[in-house]
Amino acid sequence: MLRLRNIWGAGPLTLLLLLPLLASVVFLLPGLLDWDAFGAMLAHPQFAGALKLSLFTGLVATCLALFLSILVIERLSGQAQSHAGLFLAAPHLALALGFGFLIAPTGLMARVIATVFTGWTSPPQWQTTQDPTGLALIAALVLKEVPFLVWAMASVLDQDELKQRFSREVTMARSLGHGPRSAFWRVILPQLLPRIIWPLVAVFSYGLTVVDMALVIGPTQPPTLAQLIWSDLNDAEHLINARGAAGTVALTLVALVILGASFATVRLLRKAISRWITRAPRPERRFFPAGRVLWSVWFAIYLCVIAALAVQSVSALWPFPHLLPEHISLVSWQRVLENGSPVLTSLVLAAATSTMSVLAIVVWFETQLERHDRIAVSAALAVLCLPALLLALGQYRLLLQLGWTGTGAGLLLVHVVPVAAYVFVMLQGPYRAYDTRWQAVSQGLAVKKAAFLTQVKWPMLRASLLSAWAIGFAVSLAQYVPAQLAAAGRFSTLPMEAVTLTSGGNRAMMAAYGLLLMLLPLTGLAVAAWAGKPRWKVA
Amino acid sequence: MLELRNLSLHLPDHELVKAFSMMIAGGEVVTLMGQSGSGKSSLLSLIGGDLAPTFQASGEVILNGVSLLALPPEKRKIGRLFQDDFLFPHMTVAENLLFATPAGSKPERLNQMTTALKQAGLDGFANRAPHTLSGGQRQRVALMRCLLAKPEAILLDEPFSKLDATLRAEMRAFVFDHIKSRGTPALLVTHDRSDAPAHGRIFSIGDGEVRHV
Repeated sequence: MLRLRNIWGAGPLTLLLLLPLLASVVFLLPGLLDWDAFGAMLAHPQFAGALKLSLFTGLVATCLALFLSILVIERLSGQAQSHAGLFLAAPHLALALGFGFLIAPTGLMARVIATVFTGWTSPPQWQTTQDPTGLALIAALVLKEVPFLVWAMASVLDQDELKQRFSREVTMARSLGHGPRSAFWRVILPQLLPRIIWPLVAVFSYGLTVVDMALVIGPTQPPTLAQLIWSDLNDAEHLINARGAAGTVALTLVALVILGASFATVRLLRKAISRWITRAPRPERRFFPAGRVLWSVWFAIYLCVIAALAVQSVSALWPFPHLLPEHISLVSWQRVLENGSPVLTSLVLAAATSTMSVLAIVVWFETQLERHDRIAVSAALAVLCLPALLLALGQYRLLLQLGWTGTGAGLLLVHVVPVAAYVFVMLQGPYRAYDTRWQAVSQGLAVKKAAFLTQVKWPMLRASLLSAWAIGFAVSLAQYVPAQLAAAGRFSTLPMEAVTLTSGGNRAMMAAYGLLLMLLPLTGLAVAAWAGKPRWKVA
Repeated sequence: MLELRNLSLHLPDHELVKAFSMMIAGGEVVTLMGQSGSGKSSLLSLIGGDLAPTFQASGEVILNGVSLLALPPEKRKIGRLFQDDFLFPHMTVAENLLFATPAGSKPERLNQMTTALKQAGLDGFANRAPHTLSGGQRQRVALMRCLLAKPEAILLDEPFSKLDATLRAEMRAFVFDHIKSRGTPALLVTHDRSDAPAHGRIFSIGDGEVRHV
């Protein structure tokens, strides 16, 4: 029988995650059968080209990110996990802005090449961003998704039971004559991939439907389908708006078809995979540490992205090919400070949503049986894997019904849903793995539950709680699509301001907002890491 | 022949196994007994090539005239059996066996795999997943997989300890017969004296010393 405590305990998370998600899905349903709107989307002159581009960028980015993350994880697992958090905190949008400044024809990279190698006196006539084939978008997506997949794989490989078993299986494979590389690719990887299927689906879904990155760095003529849909959804004209909604559903269906086809292909290739897995042992060439090199390159690129944003944000006059601006100006930063409202709104939302999420999830863990986590995990996975556009549309319709568009409550709601999803995923492992014998020992000492929680359990879980909070903080800061729809022009947040600036020419302002967007989550993570540092060791 | 020459094993703060020597002839199964933490499994890891870097070792391991310690595990030609069978769960029984079958033409490799299955008494189990087999069947497949790789020595790390008494006796006979018939030297590590072959040599390891008993 359910105890009252359990029902109340489930309440906060239900309000923050489960109910809004369910309501969003329910409010999506009426629009599903608007055939006229579907017809209008199919008849859009840019539809076919945009769909082709979306498929190309989404699929190539996912496959490339998967391949590179496998190369990284082959050599680094535990180490990679601890580093990946830093990369995870960087919002997609900030990365796209900084990466754009890095690879643009007048960007930092071209200036270095011109100064050190080629002696160019004018920027090369190359379209390195917003290129028609979407290569820049693919590169930016790969740059962001590799650390996420590495983190997901490292989390699996770091589970105590699997870690030991895999280590023994590698020993076994090597005693059978297979080298370390063969042992990893044939024995470990086939067992690892099914365990990261959800993160992989999330990466593909994001790549196919990404809006904010595409607006900054993606192709424009034609744009990707997500950009096309986004432009329709922001149109005040009802018919065009409905066409955008139909496009969102169509894009989701395309994602589902591609995922289904991918699973079917893997099944069809079962025989070929089996032949490859059971190939006889053969001598291996010396193990080139590709993973280690690649991970260092990733660090270097992220540092360069931050450097590009920082320099661009204070540049006044910066003629090509000078490596540094001729004149430094703090005007952009002054303007950011004068117009402090977007930064403040973002910070308040991030702090509030991540704190609310951590509290609600802790209450859930303390009052619900572990088997009930399935419900919350399913909701979290739905948030992570459903196309952001689809979820945002559902949330927007929910807000319209509640009369909450353009209100603080509405803005809070659309931020807290993804934050709660991420925090749940981050916290579930460490919180549920907490050794219950500590509680038994405390009970034996006649310590009350509240004292046990505040003086024993939460201090011991401090690092996990704080890093989950920091990830939630970063996730909130990164929200663009749902925030833009919910704000209805009455509020502005950091990502909204940064995207708005991309259509103008003020690069310094754009870079200043990009840098803030990049550094605020990193600061949150650094503070969490410092505050969560254990002051003692469990014997 | 497997020869351990002046082999010793240290941890940074103490000597785990003092220098000792031993020769194991082809087809012979030598038993090494000792309590948990005495260093017997670490000794097997040293011979097999997967010793944790926290350990330091000296001496020589020579297999059929080849010094092994500088070689990576896959080049040592040493087969391993553990108390868990470590059959790869994502592979069928046949795939597990083929994984270990040396290079050759496809029919040749398939033929070796089928013969091994017959020898394990598991004809008709080729396409079964390892988790559908009983403990004894799994250990037989594990031994056959080990033997298919044509090892020149075998290290047995308590391979019978998880089996019940009846199955244990049956598996002991199965493993020792195959090792003897192939003339492969083997080192068995156990804490249960009844696991040792009836007339084989037994050594005990404790307080850093390896003694013949």
